[in-house]
Amino acid sequence: MDIIGQFPLFYFPEYGSAWMMGITGTIHILFSHTSVGAAMLFAFLSHKAYKENRSDYYPYMKKYGMFLLIFSYVLGSITGPGIWNTATAASPRGISALIHNFVWVWATEWVFFIYEVIGVFALVYFIDRIDRKTHLKLTYTFALASVGTLALIIGIISFMMWPGTQAYYATGSASDAFFGINTFPHMFLRIGFMIMMSGVIGLVISSSMRKENEELSNELSRKMGYISIIGGFITMFFFVWYMGTLPENAHAVFAFSKDAIIQNRIILTLVFIAYFAIAIIKPKLINPVIASVMIGVILISGLWSGEKLRESMRKPYVAGQYIYSNQIISRDVPGKNIKSELPIIAEKGLLHLNPFVPARLKTITDENRKDAGELLAKMACSNCHSLEKTGVFRPLKDRLTGMDKEGIKSILYAMGEGAFSYMPTLKLPETEYDAIAEYFASLHY
Amino acid sequence: MDATVLLALRDPAGVPFYPIVFQILYILTWALHAAFVLLSLGAMGLSLYGSAKGNQDKHWSILTPHLIQTGKISVSILIVLGVAPLLFTQVIYDPNWYVTNTLSGMWIFIFVYTMIVGYCMYYWYYYAHKAQRTGHSLIGFVSFGILVFAGILMHSFAVTSIMPHDWMNMYAPNGIVNTSGWTFNMDIIRLAFMVSLSIPVVGIFLQNYSRFLSTRKDFDASFISYSAKLGTNFAVVGLLISAVLFVLWMLQIKYLFHPVSIATIIGVLVLLAMAKTNRNSYYTTLVLVVVALLISTMRELIRFDIMSALGYSIYDYPMNLEIPSIVMFLSTFLIMGFVGVAYLLTMAWKVGKREGVFDGSKDVVVTKLGQATLYIMIAWMAIYFAWGIATLFKNIL
Repeated sequence: MDIIGQFPLFYFPEYGSAWMMGITGTIHILFSHTSVGAAMLFAFLSHKAYKENRSDYYPYMKKYGMFLLIFSYVLGSITGPGIWNTATAASPRGISALIHNFVWVWATEWVFFIYEVIGVFALVYFIDRIDRKTHLKLTYTFALASVGTLALIIGIISFMMWPGTQAYYATGSASDAFFGINTFPHMFLRIGFMIMMSGVIGLVISSSMRKENEELSNELSRKMGYISIIGGFITMFFFVWYMGTLPENAHAVFAFSKDAIIQNRIILTLVFIAYFAIAIIKPKLINPVIASVMIGVILISGLWSGEKLRESMRKPYVAGQYIYSNQIISRDVPGKNIKSELPIIAEKGLLHLNPFVPARLKTITDENRKDAGELLAKMACSNCHSLEKTGVFRPLKDRLTGMDKEGIKSILYAMGEGAFSYMPTLKLPETEYDAIAEYFASLHY
Repeated sequence: MDATVLLALRDPAGVPFYPIVFQILYILTWALHAAFVLLSLGAMGLSLYGSAKGNQDKHWSILTPHLIQTGKISVSILIVLGVAPLLFTQVIYDPNWYVTNTLSGMWIFIFVYTMIVGYCMYYWYYYAHKAQRTGHSLIGFVSFGILVFAGILMHSFAVTSIMPHDWMNMYAPNGIVNTSGWTFNMDIIRLAFMVSLSIPVVGIFLQNYSRFLSTRKDFDASFISYSAKLGTNFAVVGLLISAVLFVLWMLQIKYLFHPVSIATIIGVLVLLAMAKTNRNSYYTTLVLVVVALLISTMRELIRFDIMSALGYSIYDYPMNLEIPSIVMFLSTFLIMGFVGVAYLLTMAWKVGKREGVFDGSKDVVVTKLGQATLYIMIAWMAIYFAWGIATLFKNIL
């Protein structure tokens, strides 16, 4: 019996299922990056407070810490496994590939998480209950544990883009998969962003302390301005380096919207340079409302678009350039004894090979052709495109507007020959091409 | 689902280590996770009673904020501890994990945001209670309800994952494919048993709480005695309820006379005797840990048997040994994990044991543990970068 290990399909109408992961992921990035950045900031402030005997820094750290508990350790820690869950629902085989390659890396990260979660409560609630030297040491270890979580997850998310070299395919080794050419630039790009975010959040806290202590509020706002500028610079520098380490298919996708992206980044950079400059020169002008709005600007204009771009640039793959977004294994990985599924799919078809296709759709007939086409379209296309006439997320209606069945078929044939680097090279039996084309044509995009 | 399909759903990359190790780690970490789920549920639930009583009762005015704080911290810890069993289960039980997530994709999404809303509201409850704002009890009740709903969803995922016979029917009833992700299943007795455990867990927690604070001069002896008695009552009544529900559950699935089931019942009886006499609740807690491990083993046994009967044995999973990363995990877990957590818990213990400021710099154990944690973490970072650079050089030069 020929079977490929595909799972049931989860599809959210009009949007697809990948956007759920996108939303959860974007929220998580904001909170998790802030958390690591704040851990580094705490170490810096504690160091200064201890060495320079600045006891007035402690109430600021406590206030920041309380904010962090909710911001990062409620929202961040729930959305962390949340990405995992939603990604599993949307791309089960993609997540499975990551898990089976990196389970021990994730387990190691878990050890750091435990230290971080217990540590943050100790750091915040013991700030007035332990001596300052002990507190300083606690902040150092907390910062290292937080950076440790980044150090461990970064190789996994870098591998999602690509392993960086061919070594992994031959050895199957987690080290070769983890330490690709994009891992370290990616790591420092995120460290820069984390530092910047710690300053951006720090401005909300420092500006909210103006009534209690104006002088301290202004001093800390200035410091947060400098920290954010340094973080922003590191982010920009490593972003350029990171882009140079990405595969060709990523650049092919990037080229589609290069001008708009560059324009967006220039505008964002100018806006934030101005914002940080105001924090340094005229800290009085920053208030908690403005500071909170700027977090929203980062979330929507920076992170959401950035994450969407990163996800698009991975196309047509979802992990390691050997699993397509539509959950099909597209190449051999001899180091892991993994075989490409493309040849058998071309020969026998998805309906025949997928164990969750009901018996009535296993063989295409005149009666079931449209239903089979719909299921095939969902299986092959819906991870990236919404299918309906009213679809919202990368809708096919925009790509197949006004096309008849033969026109659609010709696109499917071209895809089967690998005509588009950012689309899966998915060759299907003629009957399945025909069923998909008939279904799309019936929608009259 | 027959064996051919289930075996095809395994990841082609294989498992990177012996499957039994993942199975043991799953049992261990699920028990840890469950302990905090039950503690948070019990502490939150009891805090609502205290909150409704108001500040008139002198004992509850002390106990309630402590219960709220316990619930709050426990939720954070249960989330982080929950990551591990989630990780280990999907390495060896791919069919169960991935099929459940896709069949219940919509509920998965709702679960994430339910947790967020419930936990944020719980913080609101914490602050509202602290400030004694009007309606704080209501906020507490709503947040408790939302978090319980999240727990029910998690229960549904667990139940769906052990129903392989029905997966095809859930996905394509009468041959009509349903990709909506709204699959939801419940096993009331199993759920009732799991939830009931929160009563004895919070009872034994109260016994520990009372014992821990008994050396503090700023806590009245009558309060110490009151919280110990309250704990004993909760532990005894809760254990009796849990024992009945456990027997019903075992009868339902025909496992009552299985050695693990019998060992669990004996464990509960020992726990009952120890909780009733309350000679030393710290020892009672150790037995509770053993019982938690037995319950976790029972859950795993049920799943293992269901899958084995269908021809899916985790022990036959193809293996691609991956040595460097398991060495990293074991050394991090055993060295950094134990030293680091010992450092934090020792500090927390000593801070809690005294009034005023604890001078850790004069405490030899805390200082040495702190120093060791710091050096281990620095060494870890150095090894990480050396490993990464060496790997990169090997592969690109």
